[in-house]
Amino acid sequence: MKNLKALMFSLFLVPLVTVGQEEEEDYSIYDNLEYADESSTTFVSPKIIGLSPNRFINVAWDVQSPYTMSVSDTLGYAPDASWSAKESSNVSYTGGLRVNANIPVISRNNIVWQMGANYMNTNFRVDEANGDPILSELKRRSLNTAGLFTTVFKPLNDKQFLIFQGQADYNGNYTFGDFHSFGLTKYSAAILWGKSPHDRLQWAIGATRTYRVGELNYVPIVMYNWTSKREKWGTEILFPARAHGKYWVNKSSLIMFGYELEGGSYNLSGLSNNGNSFELRRGEVRPRIEWNRKLVGFFWLNAQLGARINYGFAYDELENGKEFFRGFFGQQEIEAFSSLGTSLYGLVGISFVSL
Amino acid sequence: MKKFKTLAIILAGLFLFTSMSDKTEEGDKLIGVWEPSNKKIYLKIDKISGKYYGKIVWLREPIDPVTGKPKTDKNNPDESLKNVPLKGFRMLKDFVYKGNGEWADGTIYDPQNGSTYNCVIKLRDDNTLDIRGYIGLKTFGRTDVWKRLVTKKKK
Repeated sequence: MKNLKALMFSLFLVPLVTVGQEEEEDYSIYDNLEYADESSTTFVSPKIIGLSPNRFINVAWDVQSPYTMSVSDTLGYAPDASWSAKESSNVSYTGGLRVNANIPVISRNNIVWQMGANYMNTNFRVDEANGDPILSELKRRSLNTAGLFTTVFKPLNDKQFLIFQGQADYNGNYTFGDFHSFGLTKYSAAILWGKSPHDRLQWAIGATRTYRVGELNYVPIVMYNWTSKREKWGTEILFPARAHGKYWVNKSSLIMFGYELEGGSYNLSGLSNNGNSFELRRGEVRPRIEWNRKLVGFFWLNAQLGARINYGFAYDELENGKEFFRGFFGQQEIEAFSSLGTSLYGLVGISFVSL
Repeated sequence: MKKFKTLAIILAGLFLFTSMSDKTEEGDKLIGVWEPSNKKIYLKIDKISGKYYGKIVWLREPIDPVTGKPKTDKNNPDESLKNVPLKGFRMLKDFVYKGNGEWADGTIYDPQNGSTYNCVIKLRDDNTLDIRGYIGLKTFGRTDVWKRLVTKKKK
């Protein structure tokens, strides 16, 4: 019986004691090791210390305070300087649902490939359209964006990397029973080459084809993500699309402050005739403060408060839906024009994240 | 007939014992010192009560540049563990050998952000591991390559 007790003790109790205790160890013996066969290759990480949580899935609601929208008559491609307001209305509500999913397909230390999808709805409550075709069209149906995108992060070595991003957006005031031509899909892309000198800094330069401010543009881009030594302050910049400073209150709470450019080119089905696409070129600047807060596990709340400043709300008629590049300089001619008063905006969302 | 039964039981027992000890031997290939691909730390994996655990035994930069003292687990969400030294800290916990060179049911802790992830380990060859940390589903994860380290041979 005594032997049996001793056996039970050695079988069950001793291992438990061992798990709980950490015996003193001479760690200096590990200073003198070598590879059993060969070293692994070190690749630069896509993340740096202190980067904001990477959102795998995000569901959010965006809402703007009331503002006045003025629209011109259809100008038939006149210089934008010559436009004048023909009709104005209060827009008492602007907002809608935003859903974003960004799923890793391959995630290894030598390559990261992600695929994603996004949906964004913007509903305009135009109080008095007064028969104006553009105001009536915005009042009739909300704007939708449904997009697919892919991102590839390819480390070249332990410091340098390439990033490629491609996106296809299907934008317009379609409904799920009345889609427009898929030939009007807008394609964007970006490529960056960069370096990460240490694990609190990464920077990159590149170029993008983008509809971020409404019209098609080709612009250079600069990325600069940095975290301070104490891992409290930092920046997350992808200029000109967005630029933020950040402050980690603690490991569960992050405050960001800066701006983001947002927009796209949308087919307005009720004004598109004879195979042409009447497109709203919408672009806005959103200076804001953002709070990211851990809720539970890997679920985080994100809340934004800021201003929505109109950058462009103009209209083009694309002949047979064919896109064109207007450029930045010289006299700009447009089909029709709108002016939007600045409004406050708020956004609340929940994300499933990786840190 | 009785002799035959006894022989069958002995053979079955022997087979069971042999296959279990083979599995244990295979599972113990995880034991040793390993280096992640970022080459910042070494981890020593041991077997305790039939499960595999890994602790940090070496840091490339052992001193915290902000405090000038040995690095501690300052990002741990548990306040009481923030002052625990990183050297000796158990990053890998509760791994069980599942056969076919795979260990599962364990977790991996990332001291850089204080998060604990589900984890599965696969033996690529005797000296290489594929370590995949993930959140809930293996899709939401990342795989790293670890290499085995041994004591330097005397020349």
